Amino acid sequence: MKVPIGWLREFVDFTAEVPRLADDLTLAGLAVDGIEGKGDDAVLDLDVTTNRVDCMNVYGVAREVSVLYGSALRPLPVDIREEGPPASGAWTIDVEAPELCPRFCGRVLDVRVGPSPAWLRGRLEQVGVRPIDNVVDLTNYVMIEMGQPMHAFDLARMPEARIVVRWARPGEKLLTLDGQERTLQGRIGVIGAARGALGLAGVMGGASSEVSDSTRTVALEAAYWDPPSIRRAAKALGLHTEASHRFERGADPEAPPVALARLAHLLAKIGAGTARPGLIDRYVAPRPRTRVSLRPGRITSVLGAPVAVSESRRILSGLGFAVGEPSEAWTVDVPTWRGDVTREIDLVEEIARHHGLGRIPSTIPPSARVEGLRPTQRRDRKVRELLAGAGLIEVITYSFVSVDGGPGPAPPLLRLANPLSAEQAVLRPSTVFPGLLSALRTNLRQGRHDVRLFELGRVFGLDRAFPEAAPEELRLGLLLAGRAPGHWSAAARAVDFYDVKGLVELLAIRFGVPRPDFQPLAGPSWDAVLHPNQSAQLAPLRPGRPTEYVGLLHPDLVARLELKEAPLVAELDPARFDLGASIRVRALDRFPAVERDVAVVVEAAVPAEDVLAEIRRAAGPLLREVQVVDKYDRPPVPAGRVSLTVALAYQDPARTLTGDEVQSSVDAIVAALRARGWDIRGE
Amino acid sequence: MKDQVRALREDFDRELKAAGDASALQALRDRYLGRKAGAITALMKALGALGPAERRVAGQELNELKTHVESGLDAARDRAASDSTAQRLARERLDITLPGRRPPHGRRHPLTAAREDLEDIFLAMGYEIFDGPEVEDDYHCFEALNMPADHPARDMQDTFYLAEGGLLLRTHTSTGQIRYMLSNPHPPDVRIICPGKVYRRDDDITHSPMFQQIEGLVVGKGITLGDLKGTIEAFLHALFGAQFPVRFRPSYFPYTEPSVEVDLGCVVCGGKGCRVCKQTGWLEIMGSGMVHPAVFEAVNARLGRVVYDPEEVTGFAFGLGIERVAMVRHGIDNIRLFYENDLRFLEQFPG
Ligand SMILES: [Zn+2]
Repeated sequence: MKVPIGWLREFVDFTAEVPRLADDLTLAGLAVDGIEGKGDDAVLDLDVTTNRVDCMNVYGVAREVSVLYGSALRPLPVDIREEGPPASGAWTIDVEAPELCPRFCGRVLDVRVGPSPAWLRGRLEQVGVRPIDNVVDLTNYVMIEMGQPMHAFDLARMPEARIVVRWARPGEKLLTLDGQERTLQGRIGVIGAARGALGLAGVMGGASSEVSDSTRTVALEAAYWDPPSIRRAAKALGLHTEASHRFERGADPEAPPVALARLAHLLAKIGAGTARPGLIDRYVAPRPRTRVSLRPGRITSVLGAPVAVSESRRILSGLGFAVGEPSEAWTVDVPTWRGDVTREIDLVEEIARHHGLGRIPSTIPPSARVEGLRPTQRRDRKVRELLAGAGLIEVITYSFVSVDGGPGPAPPLLRLANPLSAEQAVLRPSTVFPGLLSALRTNLRQGRHDVRLFELGRVFGLDRAFPEAAPEELRLGLLLAGRAPGHWSAAARAVDFYDVKGLVELLAIRFGVPRPDFQPLAGPSWDAVLHPNQSAQLAPLRPGRPTEYVGLLHPDLVARLELKEAPLVAELDPARFDLGASIRVRALDRFPAVERDVAVVVEAAVPAEDVLAEIRRAAGPLLREVQVVDKYDRPPVPAGRVSLTVALAYQDPARTLTGDEVQSSVDAIVAALRARGWDIRGE
Repeated sequence: MKDQVRALREDFDRELKAAGDASALQALRDRYLGRKAGAITALMKALGALGPAERRVAGQELNELKTHVESGLDAARDRAASDSTAQRLARERLDITLPGRRPPHGRRHPLTAAREDLEDIFLAMGYEIFDGPEVEDDYHCFEALNMPADHPARDMQDTFYLAEGGLLLRTHTSTGQIRYMLSNPHPPDVRIICPGKVYRRDDDITHSPMFQQIEGLVVGKGITLGDLKGTIEAFLHALFGAQFPVRFRPSYFPYTEPSVEVDLGCVVCGGKGCRVCKQTGWLEIMGSGMVHPAVFEAVNARLGRVVYDPEEVTGFAFGLGIERVAMVRHGIDNIRLFYENDLRFLEQFPG
């Protein structure tokens, strides 16, 4: 809101330079966003918080300035000399809807419509309002000066010189001042006439009774409207005006008669007309006055430091509060323009902001408890550290995605009722689809080929009970594309399934949890999503948990996404990595291990894990460790078969093993493998 | 015999000088000291044919020659050995200017880094980190925070609603205040921060429809506005450095009273005024305030008993945008960069 310094000075004296005034207002809660011009011609640009409708006018700001500098606030000149026949004979006002309009006031003015004098036009231009004619200009002037919106009707154009304040009839039509024909639906208040409506209550006037050059008599209204009613109407109409902005935040119910008098006073002052005798005042639903009790001790206990009693009382009375006798609990009557003040704590705030927050000593409350990261929070930090350490870059993608969901058993999707666009209409059920894939595309467009990404974030729409448990869970998504991290000393290689599987294994090892069991994809939901023979799903943590997977994107999907190469993706439940059991240390080996290799030739389709399982079964208790160290499928290995070299390690904690013991275990293994129809190489 | 020994010695000295490598030295050793054909060995055998006196003198001379040959050969062998190590080391030279074989290096997102820095400061002050849901309901997001239906402050936070279930995406992490107070394991004391994603229907250079906040809440007997000031000053000084002043000014939030906006002396210009601080010398950094009694009352109402008696307990709350912290820190002026996931941006941070 714009506040000209010259206008402020009409109501309060102060010696502070403008920049100083701006700082002082800011520190009292009226943030000055900018200053245009210098000295008395300067205009402050105030950012008034939505609760302080009393400061959305020059006089309200002057009141704050008067308290800031202990300078008297001059009353608004409102004296008038009435002339002519009584107003009540010329204009009839009925309020049919007191819940909409607790107070409606009117005055009848005889006017000479014409341009406003230069000083008035200048003031309006300073605050960014376009001057029109003296009557309209004065309604704007008084609104800016004291915050009361008003409307001037041409009495001659008002059917039967009568107004009925009522709710709109369904489908009722009205041409508003902005030139729009509006059809009214729902609970919208109107200033009605004998026939039809003359204006939207508290929002905007109508065109039919607009003041023009030929207007001789003006019916001037000023009302107090029910704030929620105006708010709902403005929202329903999509029409936000200076008037509705003030009324919906709660204007001053005592202001309408004053504003009418102020306008009449200024009208006479510029020689543009006079007021007829009598104020028409339909105060049909008087507003209760607010009285609050304030304990001075409460000021200290909230602020942490005392404020002198005299200082507290000076601030409150300067702001218009009527403060009762000093006692344990002061009786404070709230001025009618401060609808935002309803309880004791509001008064504490008034005192604090004029006392100065800077004067309250800073303290730090002692801590009574030892806190720290919770296990899941520690887990999430460690996941990020590990993956960053393994060469992946963390991304954060939007939680809302296009209607197209992800793969796997589809959970019920959560849709937004009011999305920004169709591309952001659904809460993501997955971090990979489409979040990480679109992050990949973003970077491919920049000419990047080797992309390694992860995201740890919530996904939505899982089948959870409403409303106690939130329908959201944490997921970890991984994406690898292009070449594996390389070096000039070695040939580059494309990332493959084992790179992403290795990341999952690394996480399991680093969290001390069992390595996941990787199983073939099952079910039709994976069709055309992941490569059926270069992907795996993880054995679920517990029955009913969502599917976790690791694998290569299906070529059909790669084509649909217009990618050149298929990326590897994974989606995991971080709960899988909840820190494992605490470690119990095993005694260090005192006797040497004996190592042997066995090369076994099997059909290419036989999983290595089957071979290892057979070896473990046959080996006996001395076998400590078994792992695949080589896989070979070229001659002399026959086509369709592979040779797996398996390293065996034997060890006994209590003694050195003999060659015969080890050999008899190896013999048993060889026999068992041959019994499966597999060949042993080099034996 | 004497002449033969002298001649042999002269021959050896000349040949030793000429011997270039280990094999030449070995040949020399064989020629002079070999058990079968060595020249000295042959003379030793010939000693037997001499008379006793002559034999003693010649034996002494021959022994001296043998020692001379042995030590000469040993020294030459050692020299040759050290020469070949030097040659090998020379052959093994690497170009130390070529790049090293780096273990893969990734990065955390700059917002993760900023969030964890903020968390660490509050963890050190004894705060607990509380995670609340992103999908919320009207009660936790507005009603319990003193924003009943039709409250004008709801306009400041344009909300995403879900199509079903009367749910919404939280517009602020203040929801954590309510959730924690309702499930507080040690009422009425509270000392928490709630970091997380929040959502508003805004999308331009300074607004992202998804962004991240950290809410803080401290409740207990005797908590004051002075505590709010001291805590926030300590936090901002820990985060940005103690050289930047902190300023508190009255503001408005429906769920705090008094409400306090916090400004930090501009980290770009040091307070002189620049484009970033719009020439004011101050950066708006966070909102805060004393918990509104209406919030305690709403929580008590839902709990069905007075756990947070506004007459007995007070509290302060604060909230700040994590993007704002990262933007001030790194001189970023477009909030959407955080969510475009362009590696050219993300790789600028050490992570
Ligand atoms: Zn600056």
